[in-house]
Amino acid sequence: MSILRAENLTLTLRTKDASIPVLRDVSIAVAPGRILGLVGESGAGKSMIGRVLSGLLPPNMAVTAGSLHFDGHDLLTEPKRALLGREIAFIPQEPMTALNPVHTIGQQMHEHLARLGVPAGERQARAIAALDSVHTSEALLTRYPHQLSGGQCQRVLIAMAFASRPKLVIADEPTTALDVSVQARIVLLMRELQAKAGTAVIFITHDLRLAAGVCDDIAVLYAGRIVEHGPVAEVFAQEGHPYTRCLHLANPPLSGPPRALLSLPDQMPGLRALATLRGCAFAPRCPVATADCAELEPGLSVLAGAHRIACHHPARTAQILPPTDDPHPIRLPGDAILTVANLGKTFRNGPFWRRSETRAVHDASFHIRAGEFLAIVGESGSGKSTIGRLVTGLETPSAGSITLAGQDVTTPSAKTRAHRIANVQMVFQDPQSALNPRSRIADIVTQAMEAAGRPKPERQARARELLAEMALPPEIATRVPSQLSGGQRQRVNIARALCTVPRLLVADEIVSGLDVSIQAQLLTLLARLRHELDFALLFITHDLSVVRHLCDRVLVMHRGEIVEAGEVQTLFAAPRHPYTQALLASVPPDLPL
Amino acid sequence: MIATLLKRQATALPILLIVSALLFTALRLLPVDPAAMSMPPNATKAEVEAARVAMGLDRPLPEQYAIWIGQVAHGDLGRSIHVRRPVSTLLADTLPATIELAVAAMLIAGSLGLSGGLILFALRDNKAEPLAETATTLMMSVPEFLWALLFIFVFGVALQALPFTGRLDPGISRPVLTGFLLFDAAWLGQWKAFASALLHLVLPAAALGIAFAPPIMRVLRASLIDIYHEDYIRQARLRGLSETRILLFHALQNAGLPTLTLMGVQFGILFGGSLLIEVIYAYPGMGNLMVDAVRNADLPIIQAVGLTYCIVVLTINAVVDALYHVINPRLRAR
Repeated sequence: MSILRAENLTLTLRTKDASIPVLRDVSIAVAPGRILGLVGESGAGKSMIGRVLSGLLPPNMAVTAGSLHFDGHDLLTEPKRALLGREIAFIPQEPMTALNPVHTIGQQMHEHLARLGVPAGERQARAIAALDSVHTSEALLTRYPHQLSGGQCQRVLIAMAFASRPKLVIADEPTTALDVSVQARIVLLMRELQAKAGTAVIFITHDLRLAAGVCDDIAVLYAGRIVEHGPVAEVFAQEGHPYTRCLHLANPPLSGPPRALLSLPDQMPGLRALATLRGCAFAPRCPVATADCAELEPGLSVLAGAHRIACHHPARTAQILPPTDDPHPIRLPGDAILTVANLGKTFRNGPFWRRSETRAVHDASFHIRAGEFLAIVGESGSGKSTIGRLVTGLETPSAGSITLAGQDVTTPSAKTRAHRIANVQMVFQDPQSALNPRSRIADIVTQAMEAAGRPKPERQARARELLAEMALPPEIATRVPSQLSGGQRQRVNIARALCTVPRLLVADEIVSGLDVSIQAQLLTLLARLRHELDFALLFITHDLSVVRHLCDRVLVMHRGEIVEAGEVQTLFAAPRHPYTQALLASVPPDLPL
Repeated sequence: MIATLLKRQATALPILLIVSALLFTALRLLPVDPAAMSMPPNATKAEVEAARVAMGLDRPLPEQYAIWIGQVAHGDLGRSIHVRRPVSTLLADTLPATIELAVAAMLIAGSLGLSGGLILFALRDNKAEPLAETATTLMMSVPEFLWALLFIFVFGVALQALPFTGRLDPGISRPVLTGFLLFDAAWLGQWKAFASALLHLVLPAAALGIAFAPPIMRVLRASLIDIYHEDYIRQARLRGLSETRILLFHALQNAGLPTLTLMGVQFGILFGGSLLIEVIYAYPGMGNLMVDAVRNADLPIIQAVGLTYCIVVLTINAVVDALYHVINPRLRAR
């Protein structure tokens, strides 16, 4: 018996000239004590289901067809606010910003308990009990959100969500903003509370592996429709829909032999395209599509038992295989291009009479050889980004030395600046803020030439070359960043750094925050560029599977120190440091191929 | 926390010294001779020269400054050249009046601004929004002296509803205690004087404060709109809290931070702007004292009023800073 049942739900966005179906014919059901995973890339509509449930839709969106029932209530007609927080609870994506910064945790807990109707005298005891249930101390009650870590904030929010013993909990990417090791603990905690109270959970995520580990049932969304739906065991035993299969193959594996990534072309149709869509929405990207796929949209039909998919040719899905041949043989790395010895960085805060010091990096020594891809992995605050900033000269080291292509560049100065710029370039994490929104793409990617005073025609020509190298369409040269997709922007970001072909590229989390299919495109691109341009890469990331796919060697950082270093394959197969072991253990396991 | 707040005010003293030095130098560079002005017109050159020596004006400028600042530090602001009374007495008479006026004006600006900001916020994306925008622009673009004249004409002359000269009706004896009329009258229980003082305050305070309300409205509206996009507001809605509760407990305190900063800056400007209003309403405050002093080149008064202005602004800064610490826990020592 389901606690929540949505049938043929259609959500429409009305604009001046069109009505766009954001969700189409979505039917889901969740039973008490079960976890339903909603999986898909950004823009697939998975978060919209949560918004329909809460009734907090933007004013230009409305449910235009279908039904939605929760525990005897018709959620489309009855006011929902009385149910929210009591019967239906939400766990947010960004725990750090989901708590009000000007009130203590205690004040916010008390407010929530008051709203649940707990008498004033019992609230403190209930708040302590709630924190206890998420294994945190009552000392948090007097603290403010900024004094807590992301994991602690999420525990508080989970405690609040489960405080009312809700019948349904909706968790929207609850672990995405957290470190890997914290992620695993938060997921375990949610499962524990959910199992104890028999709560139904909708778990929204972009991470197929995580969903496989957490959920009982799974629904894969593409362009506002459910394309595959069924119990996790059945779905992953035999992926029925080509999209699910492609998502899976775009994910770099963490164990077993390394394989090339399946890199889907283009991207999911945007909202505007949905209005005029014909045939199967996935057909233009589908490796096994036939002519009729573009004509007729497939309905959701039973594949086996409770496993349903929306595809005309389920038998062809198994034909999708990872690319087998590696077209870019890796060259043997050459001599050391960057040598870092006993590097230290201590940040000083406050005025001189009450200075506090934060040791971001301590005694780090490593080198990168020409053409080598070296990864630095670690959790937030481990000092990995600081190393990147020290190497590029954005920060000055407090100790140690940096030698770049034979010259000491430890202290950034006018003398070393030209040498540094000629040899190192940096790619920043967020292309949205790293690209000047008012500049044309051609000008952005040739910024390095502007500084060198190169004439305009030469820059134009180089911009065309760069865009071609990045597999970007030439016509974007005259556009501005906001007219590009997220994946395209990140390529422009990389193109800019490669403009003058540096010998070392420093890349800080450049694929995190991107969808899996876009990430696969970028990783494949980087591997190809490495072959063509022969540069070394310092790849800063928290994502271990990406490291294993892309890099030769890896440094593991923990609290400012390099705790383990070695060849990627060896180190991942047999980590020696307990921290590395814990880090690897907290990544959700690979799915069977 | 008090220690933190005091430490943050460590820059106040150097600022005060710099301002006083600037003030002193600028006034000494004026082509006026305080010694000659202090003597009767028929005084001889020798008598003026003697007065100059007596006033210490023959000494080098830095020495004069050192003497003056030393006296100021001991509470001696000198004697007015023109009215021949101690400057401190003159200030004690006028400063409370001006503070009373400025505070009343700020209260009016603040309450108009906060309520207007909430109304503007409620009207967002509404058809009436351009109308409200126009109204606030109008409020802001009319200068304070025009408001002052307009109010005198409408409420004072045409409707005869409110008084528009001085601080009290002529027949009422003035309660004497601190100089803050409203406070004194209330403390001494002279309610007739209290009512009269209050009525006399309405027009000048409104004229002074009204133009300061629109920026508050706009900043509050913009901050509220920003804050309603924050995750914690959405999370509060998802917890089923009522919109009133969300506004009062979650949104206002956060939106208040930029608004408070603005009001602190405004109060300094408003305090200086009271000069014109005091003249128009014949309000016996520091502004009128200053205008007379400038007319008579009464340097000790000009210096003292200038310094007082600086102290008031620094005090307001300190108060705003303290309030900021109270409503924004992220600033408190961790």
